[in-house]
Amino acid sequence: MAGYLVRRLLQMILVVFLSAMASYAILNFAPGGPLAGLRQQTQSSRNRLTEEDIARIRAYFELDLYLPIRFSRWFLGWPRGPIVVAGNDLFKDSPIGCRKTIEGVYKDSKGNFQTKVVGCAEYVYLTSLVNRRSSNGVIRGDFGNSWRLNRDRPVTDLLWSRLPKTLLLGGLVILISLGLAIPLGIYSAVHQYSKFDYIFTSFAFMGQSMPTFFFGIMMILLFTIVFKNAGLPYLPPGSAAAVRDWNMPWFGTIVAGSMVDRGLHLILPVAVLTFVSVAGWSRYVRSSMLEVLRQDYVRTARSKGLTENVVIAKHALRNALIPFVTLAVFTLPTIFAGAIITETIFSWPGMGRLYFLALGDYDYPVAMAILFIIAILTVIATLIRDILYTVLDPRIRYT
Amino acid sequence: MADDSKVATLSAEAITTEEQTPLQLVMRRFRKHRMAMFSLVLIAIIFSISLFAKQLAPFKVDELLVGKYFAPWGNVDEATGRVHYMGTDNIGRDYFSRLVYAGRISLTVAFFSVFISSIIGMAVGAYAGFYGGTIDSVISRFIEFLLTIPTLPLLLILSSMLIRNEDLIPIPQPILYGAGQLMLLSPYQARQGVLIILIFAGLGWLTTAQLMRGTTLSLRSQTFIEASKSLGASDLHIIFKHMIPNSMAPIIVDASLAMGGFIVAEAALSFLGFGIQDPIPTWGNMLSATQQFMLDKPWLPLVPGLPIFICVLAFNFVGDGLRDALDPRLKK
Repeated sequence: MAGYLVRRLLQMILVVFLSAMASYAILNFAPGGPLAGLRQQTQSSRNRLTEEDIARIRAYFELDLYLPIRFSRWFLGWPRGPIVVAGNDLFKDSPIGCRKTIEGVYKDSKGNFQTKVVGCAEYVYLTSLVNRRSSNGVIRGDFGNSWRLNRDRPVTDLLWSRLPKTLLLGGLVILISLGLAIPLGIYSAVHQYSKFDYIFTSFAFMGQSMPTFFFGIMMILLFTIVFKNAGLPYLPPGSAAAVRDWNMPWFGTIVAGSMVDRGLHLILPVAVLTFVSVAGWSRYVRSSMLEVLRQDYVRTARSKGLTENVVIAKHALRNALIPFVTLAVFTLPTIFAGAIITETIFSWPGMGRLYFLALGDYDYPVAMAILFIIAILTVIATLIRDILYTVLDPRIRYT
Repeated sequence: MADDSKVATLSAEAITTEEQTPLQLVMRRFRKHRMAMFSLVLIAIIFSISLFAKQLAPFKVDELLVGKYFAPWGNVDEATGRVHYMGTDNIGRDYFSRLVYAGRISLTVAFFSVFISSIIGMAVGAYAGFYGGTIDSVISRFIEFLLTIPTLPLLLILSSMLIRNEDLIPIPQPILYGAGQLMLLSPYQARQGVLIILIFAGLGWLTTAQLMRGTTLSLRSQTFIEASKSLGASDLHIIFKHMIPNSMAPIIVDASLAMGGFIVAEAALSFLGFGIQDPIPTWGNMLSATQQFMLDKPWLPLVPGLPIFICVLAFNFVGDGLRDALDPRLKK
């Protein structure tokens, strides 16, 4: 087991490193980014940007460094100056980036003029990194500064400000879903082909097919718009708390930011997410329960004369829930990533919405941080699942 | 004597009972699944509507009727006598025409995503399962890892990168032209659809590959494969003549479920604004564009939302029915 764990840890480090590289590459290979609009601005006569301005902005976003160096500075927070080993200044003369590019104009196959980087007018060397601001590196928990959403503030600040909201939403949804899905699945499996089972399976099927964005909009339509127009108590359609006090029919004024206000704002997003996950999970519990109920040891337990409740609770359920562990563990990265669609519909200020906004605003450090953390959590979830399996099912052994 | 004659008539009956081909058997079992049959009819209707989009839609998708915003259902365009069956949207475009064209685009994207991802998945899965070894374990680990990552963040990042930087992946003009014909778009506009298909196919083959690998592994040790091998059949012959036909059942079921999944995924991407962009109609971006007018015109988001829901439900039912029909052992 110890050897296995060590091997797994080494594998994890490799996977984490590779996914960091992949997430960095996806966002940084693409042209555009924060400089996309600058070229257009240079064309206008006012606010004309000089070459020097562009070079400065490029340096500000570290875009003047070559990709491997940039990645290393993002991931390890290194190099931050000359590399001195035993008194020797290594790589003193090798360029690590290009401060000012030379752009050539050429005619493409369609006869349009295109610009292309053809050379470098001014190289960057290791010595010029000394006075640059730099993050401490992702491995030290520093994801650099945000470019757009919260300009020049650390990405971690943004993440920490969003995390509680996402954990609140995700945690509530998981608790309620587990509480509903397991009993529903068990009941439906034990009473297979009963009326309840039919109604339940059809509802679960519908729930699994229901796209969250459509469902969310329908919920807003019903519980906010229709209820409000009918003069009934209605639920707020978005955000985590009201900005100013609002009036609810029958109940009177609700103070903005109070517990009641926050609770009311939670209801719709929680309901949408719970419905969808209960639909999936309970079907899963039902089918694995059905499989277990057919096993020999369940028949043995019954023939020993145990009551049906004991057979189900003690013999069947524990084994039926083993595959369910996988499903439950992998909600870990999903909770962190937040429910992107649901958070967007209900403008819930959580991680999912942050990621959505970061991609929309070209705020790459934020998007990369979220993507990287998702990858790490996925790897950790895989490990937890494998370890839990050995605990729950003694037949599984890793060597 | 009496018993003998009974046996004789019984065996005669057994001989004269019409023999059914596997396909007939599957069809018979599928027909028993009422919801699946009903869904198949629904899918056929939606497909034929989008097939005849050009003929059915009275207006062009991007035809702006200036000043005629939020026209009610059944409103008649005085100048030409054409009817706005479902009124117009916030900038005066005929809603019904857009809905019909959107169906064409959404369904084409979903169909080709399924098609390409199935082919990639089958190829990779068959290769990994058939040859095994280090390549197999590397591929399997890779697939497992990708499958556990939440999909939506990945989809979002890829499509936001690719759709915004159109030249990043050069797509040959004939493909764009063909895709444009299929989706009733200009070749330039069709690029977005093709990119979405590529992204979906790039992430969608994983489950198919896993399925294919599993069946290939279990088939590999069966006697008829050994027999084929000992007769001198080449690897390609075994894969194409034995492995693929014998593993079609789960793959067809998976493809049917994936079809629904891709329709939702495309709608979700377009809904969030990272998929196919506005002048081109898709159910997803129609839903997101009209979401803000929900307060007083609730039908605007409902109209494009319903076909998404219906399509997904229908494809899931068909998948369920196919699973029961193709492989009764899997029946839940």
